[in-house]
Amino acid sequence: MIRIGKTTAFFANTGLRLSYRIGFALAALLLGFAQCKKDPPGVVTPTACDLTDIPYAPTAYTIPKPAHFPQIPVPADNPETLEGVQLGRRLFYDPILSGDSTQSCSSCHLPQGSFTDNKALSKGIDGIEGRRSAMSLLNVAYATNGLFWDGRAKSLEDQALKPVEDPIEMHAQWTKVVDKLKQHPVYPELFRKAFGINSCEDITKELAAKAIAQFERILISSGTSKYDLFATGAGEFEDEELRGKLMFFDEGQNSGLPDAQCFHCHGSITLTGNNFFNNGLDSVGSLDEFVDKGRWDFVKGLSANPDTTTKGKFRTPTLRNIALSAPYMHDGRFKTLEEVMAQYNDNGFGVMNEDIFVQQIGFPVTVNGKVHYSGLTPSQTSDVLAFLHTLTDTAFVNNPDIQNPFK
Amino acid sequence: MKNRALSLLVASLVFFSACKDKTDPIQKDNFTLTFRALYDGQPLEKYKNFPYGDKTIYFDRFNTFLSDITLVGGSSDVRLSDIAWVDFMPDSALSNKAVDITFKFTVPDGDYTGLKLGYGVSAALNAKKPTDFPVEHPLYLESEYWQGWQSYIFTKVQGRYDLDGDNTPEANLFYHCGSDAVYHTAILPKNISVSGDAALLVEFDLKKLFTFDGQLLDLSDSANRTTSHDASNIALGQKVISNFKNATILQ
Repeated sequence: MIRIGKTTAFFANTGLRLSYRIGFALAALLLGFAQCKKDPPGVVTPTACDLTDIPYAPTAYTIPKPAHFPQIPVPADNPETLEGVQLGRRLFYDPILSGDSTQSCSSCHLPQGSFTDNKALSKGIDGIEGRRSAMSLLNVAYATNGLFWDGRAKSLEDQALKPVEDPIEMHAQWTKVVDKLKQHPVYPELFRKAFGINSCEDITKELAAKAIAQFERILISSGTSKYDLFATGAGEFEDEELRGKLMFFDEGQNSGLPDAQCFHCHGSITLTGNNFFNNGLDSVGSLDEFVDKGRWDFVKGLSANPDTTTKGKFRTPTLRNIALSAPYMHDGRFKTLEEVMAQYNDNGFGVMNEDIFVQQIGFPVTVNGKVHYSGLTPSQTSDVLAFLHTLTDTAFVNNPDIQNPFK
Repeated sequence: MKNRALSLLVASLVFFSACKDKTDPIQKDNFTLTFRALYDGQPLEKYKNFPYGDKTIYFDRFNTFLSDITLVGGSSDVRLSDIAWVDFMPDSALSNKAVDITFKFTVPDGDYTGLKLGYGVSAALNAKKPTDFPVEHPLYLESEYWQGWQSYIFTKVQGRYDLDGDNTPEANLFYHCGSDAVYHTAILPKNISVSGDAALLVEFDLKKLFTFDGQLLDLSDSANRTTSHDASNIALGQKVISNFKNATILQ
């Protein structure tokens, strides 16, 4: 990873920002138009193929975001437009993408679960259970370090292509899906308006993925969670929430509180750095013993000498709306946040590539010259849990602009 | 080697894209600056055991911000960059070998006498936050900012040390250093002649980073193994950052 910069260019784009509320209102107004056509999903009927009579005048779309959130990365080759977001939203919720037209992206990513399905493992159209839990899509626009639990998709555009043909998920073929889109009574016009295609024959899987990615990029926090209000000076915490926050961010030394070490992996405003860690879930004698080797599954095919220490590492999920997105971990092994905290309180297993902070939760205690960590007391654990509940963002999950347009 | 070639390519592309506002179409990026991580003169590798006195040590993370990167001593100093972030062990690495980080700059011909480096983030920039910066900027990186210090995390060096001598490092080490008080600058002397294309290799040797007055830092002392999260207790962070200049080799 390399980054370099000159201060002279820092603020070039700041004038483009809208405040979150203004942006939200504008987006709500504009996106409302997208709900005018409520054709039943998955319907396929013949349509005229020449689209040139339909105006192509895409409207640039600035993704609404809270003022205290960083700029949202948007790829130059897929700028956000109102028409692209509308199309992507429709595709996201339309089972037309699956082999038997029964499942959509939203089958595993529902707003009420903060765009998870609240299942340990999701089932595809054939009733086959996948091996990993559906990740939340909240603030996924900021995930530029690889998507899926193993980071195998380099971008949202790349990610959106994969579940359609996954035999355990939507089990379709893009060629057939694209044919259905070409013949659909509505989609050719929407693709025209979003991407300027001249013919329905110009519809491609790449354009479909671009549209879905544009929609997924608008899945940004509302900025009205209790935590956000506290962080921006617009609200207050209860005492236990504040203690939990201090422990979460390792800021409690002056208050006599131990480090919970959470922020090392769940740092930044989105509460995930989107990096890859072994977070100490399993005791293994060697890295090859991990049942699910996580990032290794992707990395092993990249070079002649792949990084074997990626075995057992997974991308850190966001903790925003964590109370809404149970169960937890890549395999959904924990049903409750209490179970998660109990796991971390054990301070890991000392596996070679385990993140070092997993092993340092609580106060240091020296026994026979070796330093151990106390873990958190029940009261301290309760405080951290109270803090985690301040991350709940009901305004986000209830935002009408991200709901199913077919309902 | 494949890693290095890839990192060179990517670094070049990143810098080229950052230079679009240059007005002189004749100028080209002629100066290659490469950063490399070593341990005792050997290429650094993630989770690889290296000797540390009669014990062993390994590292799983090494990244740092560098400020005010400047060639000094020519007809005038040439500031190459206000700020750069170099991550020698990124998640995107294709192997567990530390990657080389390469930048390209436009530098006038001349004879320079050294390289100035700021270890960390200079105070003016450290007063800002990730939300102040555009996506492509080094200081956009939220994972490298810590509210507890109200500072960027200048440097992360972490790994494990074999405390009990069984050749399996088990004692955690982390040196996460930040805040204005630990920022440190140095001018590293070297004759650097630029005539057309030129290159400079900057190596950071982690063994030298842990060597003070010829003695390895005593890692059997737990107080030396981890920097504190207490903003008022930054002594070890200051010690490490101030030693960075002694761990820097210009080739």
